[in-house]
Amino acid sequence: MSLTPTATNAVDLAMLASYEEAQIEGEPDFVVELIDLYLDEVPRIFASLQNAIENKDCATAKRTAHSLRGSSGNLGVQQIAALARELEHLENPCGTSARELLQHLESEFGLVREILTAERRRRSS
Amino acid sequence: MKILIAEDDPISCRILMANLKKWGHEVVVTHNGKEAWQALHAQGAPSLAILDRVMPDVDGIEICRQLRREKSDTPVHVILLTSLNRREDLLEGLEAGADDYLTKPLDAHELRARLQSAARILELQENLRQRVRELEAAIAERKLAEEALRNLSLTDQLTGLYNYRGFLNLAEHHLKTSRRSQNPSLLIYADMDGLKEINDKLGHRVGSLAIGAVADILRRTFRDCDIVARLGGDEFAVLVPDIHKTETAKLIERLRRNLHNYDEEANHEFTLALSIGAVEIDHRHQVNIEDQMARADEVMYREKRKRKGRLEAL
Repeated sequence: MSLTPTATNAVDLAMLASYEEAQIEGEPDFVVELIDLYLDEVPRIFASLQNAIENKDCATAKRTAHSLRGSSGNLGVQQIAALARELEHLENPCGTSARELLQHLESEFGLVREILTAERRRRSS
Repeated sequence: MKILIAEDDPISCRILMANLKKWGHEVVVTHNGKEAWQALHAQGAPSLAILDRVMPDVDGIEICRQLRREKSDTPVHVILLTSLNRREDLLEGLEAGADDYLTKPLDAHELRARLQSAARILELQENLRQRVRELEAAIAERKLAEEALRNLSLTDQLTGLYNYRGFLNLAEHHLKTSRRSQNPSLLIYADMDGLKEINDKLGHRVGSLAIGAVADILRRTFRDCDIVARLGGDEFAVLVPDIHKTETAKLIERLRRNLHNYDEEANHEFTLALSIGAVEIDHRHQVNIEDQMARADEVMYREKRKRKGRLEAL
């Protein structure tokens, strides 16, 4: 797989790898567990964002964007964290710009998912 | 350490938990403010809480504020999790009573350092509480000991004279050791007149001063080897050992004169008067002190009635 320039800084794999420190011997691979959690969590967050934007529930949109930013930042998923932050701080986090940002986020996540899935495969083998 | 995590974001939560477990801490995981609040009030609640600043129901700052409002004896050490570059959150958190803060994304080394500092603070607090408990126990013990001592005491606190117990002990001892003595001893029973009126009119503080004044006069009138006691309330007793028959009347006279002199002095808010009953104890007969005190009391009461009659006649 060839990585595009965006992809190389989409995920900070060194940061992700730093969680190996928290690995407890004899337990399942902790980084893999985190990747799974993240891949599971993000679509849920997107759905909830979508919902909040449609219902003009700005408070929920803002809080959900904040969550996404936190989760992504934790795992070194920099681009998504940055976009989520932008959404969180929008003057109107459930308006048109929010909708656009969400689309942007979703396409970015496609890339992130590929990278994380590859990373997961590498670690599981 | 037992540590509570309150974090709605599953990834942050998992990372925190993994690190804490790895370092050997016991972890209680909650995902919102309400759960956190309950866990902090359960039996054996954690002593340290890591609270996320932002949670859907009750956020970390609000929990902090409510915890501090409780003024607990064992306050929870609170570390607030905030996003980077949110200085205003941080200040608000510290004002709400958070002890420390961590910024997300979490840095494991920083977390570890903060926990160590928290552990030191918690240990100091626990030592302090332990010390307070020990001091309280020591004070309670001391109070008990003092009370026991007071009960055992032979002296009257107010006047420094012997108390009833002291008088009885010493007088009994004297009677035993004087069995073959030729000279009698003199037992004087003295009861203040009008203490109740002094208390009623001038207050108990002045009443106590009057009692003290009587004690001083008794001390001045009698010798060191005489047993002078306040039996309680307004009653006094003196045992004068080994007295020659001719001296008895003189001694009583001296007491009366000293009382009179006191009353003649200016500036007293009250006058002192004693009803006195005096009996001789003949050591050639077997006697016990209680009987002799009853005799003296009887004599004293006769006098008191006479004095009262005289006063009423006036």
